[in-house]
Amino acid sequence: MRTPLCDLLGIEQPVLQGGMAWVADASLASAVSNAGGLGIVSAMNADAAWLRHEIRETRARTQKPFGVNIMLMSPYVEEVAQVVEEERVPVVTTGAGNPGKYMPAWIGADIKVIPVVPSTAMAKLVERRGAAAVIAEGGESGGHVGDLTTMVLVPQVCDAVSIPVVAAGGIADGRGVAAAFMLGAVGVQVGTRFLVADECTIHPNYKQKILEARDIDTATAGRRLGHPVRALKNPFMREFMRMEYDSAVSNEELDRFGAGALRRAAREGDMKTGTIMAGQASAMVKKEQPARDIIREMMEEAEALLRGAAKWVN
Amino acid sequence: MVFEKIAALLNDYKELEGGVTPETTFESLGFDSLDRVELAMSIEEAFGITLEPDVNMRSVQDLADAVEARLSQLPKEGNA
Repeated sequence: MRTPLCDLLGIEQPVLQGGMAWVADASLASAVSNAGGLGIVSAMNADAAWLRHEIRETRARTQKPFGVNIMLMSPYVEEVAQVVEEERVPVVTTGAGNPGKYMPAWIGADIKVIPVVPSTAMAKLVERRGAAAVIAEGGESGGHVGDLTTMVLVPQVCDAVSIPVVAAGGIADGRGVAAAFMLGAVGVQVGTRFLVADECTIHPNYKQKILEARDIDTATAGRRLGHPVRALKNPFMREFMRMEYDSAVSNEELDRFGAGALRRAAREGDMKTGTIMAGQASAMVKKEQPARDIIREMMEEAEALLRGAAKWVN
Repeated sequence: MVFEKIAALLNDYKELEGGVTPETTFESLGFDSLDRVELAMSIEEAFGITLEPDVNMRSVQDLADAVEARLSQLPKEGNA
């Protein structure tokens, strides 16, 4: 399936792989790009040296376009914002904030900037600052989440801006892809389903939890700190939520408790004191496969659905 | 002028019944980061300027000052 997003980014399938912290490295990103989508390396809370290495590693594994996701709350945001310019990364996505102040330099360096937006006003703001597209990500997604759902956010963002809109949040199969197009998007960003890609280097315990998840198994926490996060419910999450509701626990203490939890889960396989960030679509993810097959299956199913979409129309 | 216009936008946005003064803080109005972006976009549209939402703008006066500064940077219309 070819949409204007493919032409904009020089990719074959209108699929972006989410820039997930501790997950989206050169291995996964290059596999997705080689499969025709846009692989994305997450700069997460890592420093310039780490990101530079991962970018070069990605380039060693793929000739195709790829992107870097910049997490705007990172303590290293200033230096990684510089690295993407210096390394001439073709696409930068951003999350967890307003990328406005970095955009003039990035756009000056011919980088296509595609911010993740939680609201129509943020979509308008980044469009006015020269964004090439926006990712309208509903709260069904894993990791940092906004309040609005994909179902209501995507069409409203499509109404608010003229640039291409990528839908994200809860999209794990062809039905979600087809639905995203009906809502007005011209592409999708997928996170949770890529967790179980063969080329995703996270710990097997994490993948197993995704494969076993039921629909009701995720929850959001951290609203009190101003940045709610969605993850699978586990002992860590339950303890975090208990502390969050306890007014005797300070924000600093709560923040400290969460530090390192994602790394513990994703890299060390600690399912008890780690946090297993994942979207509500976890339960729909059933099979470990190469990234290529994930994309192929999703798009084939979407195409079949879209072809049959008029079945109830006279 | 600028303050009145901003106060009107705020009254609309948060359904306040007046009572916005230059000293009113955004924190007291319960503003979060998304609210700041909403307000910045309304201000851009109302005044024809660009404006970055800035957490350092604590009070309505801070915002009014920033808007005045942006307005004074706009190219002046000629008299021809």
